[in-house]
Amino acid sequence: MSIRSSFDEATEAYQVPKLIKLAPNLYAACFTLMKMIPARFIVRRAAADGRLDAGTVIAETTSGTFGLALAMQGVHLDRRVILVSDPVIDERLYRRLTDLGAVVDRVPASAAGTVGGYQAARLTRLAEIRAEHPATFWPDQYGNPDNPRSYASVAELLLECLGQVDCLVGTVGSGGSMCGTTTYLRSVLPECRAIGVDTHRSVLFGHPDGHRELRGMGMSLLPGNIDHRVFDTVHWCSAAAAYAATRQLHQRHALFMGPTSGAAYLVARWWAARNPSALTVVMLPDEGYRYQDTVYDDEWLMAAGHLAEPVPEEPVPVDDPTRPDGGAWTTYDWARRTLPEVLSGSAAPVQGAR
Amino acid sequence: MRSLRELDSTYARTGDHASDIDVGIGHAPAHHGELIQGMFYDGAGQLRRALVTLPDPGRGSRAVFHPSQNHWGIVGTPELIKVRRAAILALREFTTHPSPAKGGQIEITSNVPRGIGMGSSTSDVAATIRAVANYHGVSLSREEVGRLAVLAECASDSVMIDDRVVLFAHRDGVVLETLGHQLPPMIVVGCDTAPGAVVDTLGLQPAEYDDSEVGAFQVLRAALRRAIATDDVALLGRVTTASARINERFLPKPHLDTLLALSERHGGCGIQVAHSGTVAGIIFDARRPEVEDCALRCAAEMVELGLVLTGVIGSDQDAPAAAPAGTAAAVGPAGPPAARVPA
Repeated sequence: MSIRSSFDEATEAYQVPKLIKLAPNLYAACFTLMKMIPARFIVRRAAADGRLDAGTVIAETTSGTFGLALAMQGVHLDRRVILVSDPVIDERLYRRLTDLGAVVDRVPASAAGTVGGYQAARLTRLAEIRAEHPATFWPDQYGNPDNPRSYASVAELLLECLGQVDCLVGTVGSGGSMCGTTTYLRSVLPECRAIGVDTHRSVLFGHPDGHRELRGMGMSLLPGNIDHRVFDTVHWCSAAAAYAATRQLHQRHALFMGPTSGAAYLVARWWAARNPSALTVVMLPDEGYRYQDTVYDDEWLMAAGHLAEPVPEEPVPVDDPTRPDGGAWTTYDWARRTLPEVLSGSAAPVQGAR
Repeated sequence: MRSLRELDSTYARTGDHASDIDVGIGHAPAHHGELIQGMFYDGAGQLRRALVTLPDPGRGSRAVFHPSQNHWGIVGTPELIKVRRAAILALREFTTHPSPAKGGQIEITSNVPRGIGMGSSTSDVAATIRAVANYHGVSLSREEVGRLAVLAECASDSVMIDDRVVLFAHRDGVVLETLGHQLPPMIVVGCDTAPGAVVDTLGLQPAEYDDSEVGAFQVLRAALRRAIATDDVALLGRVTTASARINERFLPKPHLDTLLALSERHGGCGIQVAHSGTVAGIIFDARRPEVEDCALRCAAEMVELGLVLTGVIGSDQDAPAAAPAGTAAAVGPAGPPAARVPA
């Protein structure tokens, strides 16, 4: 019972998702920049605790939107931001980051072939940068428990708007959004299902590391912030399937989102259709502007071979989560187990439909 | 069906008392623990300890202020130390009002069991503040009574704010948020989970919540906001159960899991507890068919388990009648009104 009020600063506005109904039992939490939630929470908390004095530099490894969120927060706080990224960082994002005053430090392309790929090389470079500066603050989105904690705000919104969430679907990278939101939802709704969406050759749920075309989800190194026991089911989705779903999300629902949103939508739409009595929420992490020349360009899709095969209608269930060759869209009954439990083949408790 | 919000809060200035001089009279209801309690952000982004009270309109305290021109201070026994403090605070509050009173006596009549988390001292204190205000012809707002009650006893449930459901900072005496006009229609079957044990609320250390719990409290607040706005007792019960579970780390309730199983078996929506007391209740949706039967069967099973019933809140059958203004508080299931007349 309060009146609406203004936002104090841009980043406060950016962290609030719009909850949009896609089907009678399917809602999308649409973010302009989902990573603003952990970035803002972590940085403001550091500032409140006195870990972010005037001369302190915010330094982080990121090739994407977490860095953008940090750079925006750096503007508000008037702090220097140094971001260690891939050489393949999106050119538009690079221009936006530097316009915000952030320094973007790119690791050499030769790092691609080494163990852990760019992600390992970036961490090494980050350590060097931190050694060079007298005072740095490392938000550490992959290991900082404030990352999952920051998503209490999303669980708040979902519970206030919907009251019930039977299933939450979202892509997984650092583990923050899915593990945080699900854990907080379960404080009130312990039965809420969590479906994690990964991409082939990401180590998050057992695949061996390898080249991944689909960016913004999946990892080459296992982040500390992933709590595997949160997940009931895991899906692996190819770039082509994610891109096609991204376009369908736009064409059917007028939602202009990025490909990670497409991957999540692909799985959520299928699950919600198969479980009409269950209320499903899908997290859509960012918007489509960066992908207008790629995912939203038919010629580019054709040239890149993404239109060669029709998008699967449904996922192929797999028994072995360590094999990435099961098809363009696969699923595994994770059953809220730890990664070692799954890898050692300990039996999954009997569960309902995937 | 009695509304949970239909509270005994009338207080009137009386002139026809046995004595020649005017007295002041005040009432305040009791509560049955809380729906939620934890730490919540206020409008300025500061974390504050706060709670949402479950009022028990069938119980309460009545205070009569007998002014005296002869001595300062309040005459009373040491056990009513909070009442003395409240009376002195309230007297100080009205020093600008022309009044012959320099001190006086507070006479408390109450049917609230003490020391089990039902707000016996808060209702004494709030009734006292109202009695002194009443004597001075002052009509205090509910928020003012809340602020003074917290000053008098450090921490108070929000029994005095009986016209809406509020998230109340019980150590600061301020309302953080109004969650709605009234609670959804519900019946609470209450019991004392540790009969005989008495919790000293003043001696209890404030809970040290960790970061995850603080996050969870914000989620509970949002869910409770919805439950109250949409009259969703099922959701409300899930929220109160979650708050009770978090509280287990600080003041565990014996038989909590038994109560949860009872709730499930009898079609309840969940449990609520006194976060600094021993009472707990099972929440039923009052709109459910045959809900009174379910509640009674549930109560019978509680008794079989050796728990002492504290009453059935929100039900026509068991709720004691609210005391009309100017009379002694009604006799509740806990026994005769305990007249504690100091000196």
